[in-house]
Amino acid sequence: MSETNNWEPKIIAFLCNWCSYAGADLAGVSRFQYPPNIRIVKVPCSGRVSENMIMSALKSGADGILVSGCHPGDCHYISGNYFAKRRFALLSNLLDFIGIEPGRVSFSWVSASEGEQFAEVVHSVTERVKALGPASRLVKQLDAVQAA
Amino acid sequence: MKVFKISPAELDTMIEQWNKVHVVYAPAMEKQAAASPDCAPGWCRVDGSAALTLLPLLTGPTLASVKPFFFPQPETLLTYTLENTRPDKGMMREPERSKDMQVVLGVRPCDARSVLLNNLPYQEDQFFQANRQRTALVGFICDQTLSTCFCSRMGGSPLDNEGLDLALSRAEDGFIVEVCSEKGEALVTGLELAPAPEGDISALAARRNAGGNPSATELDSLKGSELGTLYDAAMWQSLGEACINCGACTFICPTCYCFDIQDEVVRGQGRRIRYWDSCMFPLYSLHTSGHNPRGQKVQRTRNRFLHKLKYFPDRFGPFSCVGCGRCVKDCPVNIDIREVMDDLMHLTAVE
Amino acid sequence: MPTINKRISEEIRAQARKLLEEGEVAAVLGYGAGSLPMTVKPLVVRRPEDCSKLIWSAFCVLNLANYLPAALKSVEPPRGPRDPKHEGPLPKVAILATGCWSRNIVVQIQEHQVARGRVVVMGVGSRGMVSRRKVEALFPGLEILAVEEGDHELVVRGADFAETINRWSVVRDNCQSCTHPDPVLVDLRIGEPVSERKNPNPFKQVEEIEQQSGDERWAWFTREFSTCIRCYACRNACPLCYCPTCFVDDAKPQWVGKSLDAVDTGLFHVLRAYHCAGRCTDCGTCETVCPMGINMRLLTKKLNKDVLNLYNIEAGMEPDSPLPLTTYTMDDPEKFIITELTPVPRAVKEGK
Repeated sequence: MSETNNWEPKIIAFLCNWCSYAGADLAGVSRFQYPPNIRIVKVPCSGRVSENMIMSALKSGADGILVSGCHPGDCHYISGNYFAKRRFALLSNLLDFIGIEPGRVSFSWVSASEGEQFAEVVHSVTERVKALGPASRLVKQLDAVQAA
Repeated sequence: MKVFKISPAELDTMIEQWNKVHVVYAPAMEKQAAASPDCAPGWCRVDGSAALTLLPLLTGPTLASVKPFFFPQPETLLTYTLENTRPDKGMMREPERSKDMQVVLGVRPCDARSVLLNNLPYQEDQFFQANRQRTALVGFICDQTLSTCFCSRMGGSPLDNEGLDLALSRAEDGFIVEVCSEKGEALVTGLELAPAPEGDISALAARRNAGGNPSATELDSLKGSELGTLYDAAMWQSLGEACINCGACTFICPTCYCFDIQDEVVRGQGRRIRYWDSCMFPLYSLHTSGHNPRGQKVQRTRNRFLHKLKYFPDRFGPFSCVGCGRCVKDCPVNIDIREVMDDLMHLTAVE
Repeated sequence: MPTINKRISEEIRAQARKLLEEGEVAAVLGYGAGSLPMTVKPLVVRRPEDCSKLIWSAFCVLNLANYLPAALKSVEPPRGPRDPKHEGPLPKVAILATGCWSRNIVVQIQEHQVARGRVVVMGVGSRGMVSRRKVEALFPGLEILAVEEGDHELVVRGADFAETINRWSVVRDNCQSCTHPDPVLVDLRIGEPVSERKNPNPFKQVEEIEQQSGDERWAWFTREFSTCIRCYACRNACPLCYCPTCFVDDAKPQWVGKSLDAVDTGLFHVLRAYHCAGRCTDCGTCETVCPMGINMRLLTKKLNKDVLNLYNIEAGMEPDSPLPLTTYTMDDPEKFIITELTPVPRAVKEGK
């Protein structure tokens, strides 16, 4: 039981190099604290984040996933996040359709100057994931496989 | 060989008895039914008194073959941990293997024969042999066959009990039970069964005799034929063109036994698994160098048929096909192995 | 009076023969008779005398567009370093196409897999293809030995029965919900055009699932895909899947495990469907070819619904328009972005 009480979610955050990662940096420099549950993966652009990466993180046992890029119109590569937007819209609907809890996979736009907003995003994502509890859907369990 | 006669109610009791000490499986009746979490698609665990509702069986082969009981998808070969804090980090261990006897009900003669055929290449495979040791096949010989059945053409017979541990056949007001092996013997010890009347036994023997001698077939001429003629035949071109190279035929086939081995690591815990592979997939024959000796679709299609009808018999004797007809029914593009055999026979005749 | 499909078969044979004899095309992609009732074989015809093998029936359930890129390649002259340089245009291939297949050809053109100038589309209006599985389900435990096809009914025969059933009742789900049965790309018309179908709700099946709770949807998903044997027939029969190396075969990183683990199987199906987003024409081939009878089409249908609702695009309707995921507009909906942010607590903000 104590294990569940002490449970802290692991959240994988895919942050774009130019805005959200810099935003996270600013949050740190500005000493805005945010929950230590996120593990950041720096990517060149939110348009680089493929569905394979997101699903792979889920499968490997991430309790939550956050993908964050530049605000629409601010993309360093001009349009990467616009393409990402279409893709994520469809992916989040599809995940909802197969019964993955809404809130497991979150998306946000955070610019390099929004340190405080980055901290807020992480707070709210962490809270949502904590409310959901540990992820079990589409999480690979070796024990379950071995019994079969 | 002991032969008993039982009533349907006795069969029910028998299955209940087995269920107390063994793990009992029966064929799922509907393909669309969800797979049970504890066994392969197409099969289900028998729980308690549900036994009789599973019978009578559908005509023809069961939806899935018995292959997964001997050649599980996947089989865990070794396990290990990669956690830094563990002193046994990286040490390979044999997993605990279940020693429980598993009893598989409703097996057809074609599938029973497939186990014997797969046993030829797997003679020295400890995993296959261990599974064989703990699996008893309780089969039903076929009263009727489907239009897609061609076991007699492949050297089997719908009435055969070869490879089964207990062979049941329908008789008036009950079943005749033939005890065909030591495992079968063990299944019926302790049960008080009446010996089958002489009349029923001879009736069954007469039915078998009427079927003729199944072991020799017209296909045997393929075995002596020149490989080059078969290999270079023009028919492969059109066949390969139609084939979509999915693995459906190989995975539903009872006698396809190819595998690949891979390590899987999940959150620091690892296992080495052996899982089904299919010669239809380009990855199957891809070399590390990037070269693929069977890089073209037509080569892969040809390989599957020639393996079954030429390479395997050249090496082991019998054809690697039992004529269950599953691939005939389920091939998405209607590639029919019977037509392939006809074409090959035609070729050798011309030769 | 011969049935509609018999007349179409005749016309296909005649047109195919003409195309091959005149040298207009080097090959014709069509169907031949199958070895079992309710089956057909895909066929590449290269000689005029083989055209008599071509047929058209209610069981042409495979998407021929899947064969088109390979067929085009097969008729090209060899282009090795020692081969003589080819002069003039490359040979053409003719292909039979109904509504959805023609839309797949459009997608292939959009994605530069097929050159428009090298394809002769023989357009056939689809009257809906019959699901073999649905017919078999009507006769549980009985073997069907022959099916005769009428215009509106099927006569199903077995060893000791013969029954007439309504054709439309056993037409595949995707054909029943289809709104574009007539080809959108036609070079050569076969038979009569079929009018657009008014379907009050083509996404009914999807909506039934959407209305369930999250837990129910998860239960549906795990149950539906539990029988998958990972044969990849759904992938290989799909004209959208032409990657030389599929994501399931990637080794570093390996996105999807190889065994029958429920998670790996589920991931395969989610990702396979997702890769078809905005490209799928709901031809239903994936579902039809599945040896285990899994309805994986519902995933792509859901994506089709979202693409239509969010971006007002149906795949393969216009050759000159971009695919939905290769373009964007400034005001694409972004409902999925987190908006309810938790304010950072003051104490934390000040680093105390």
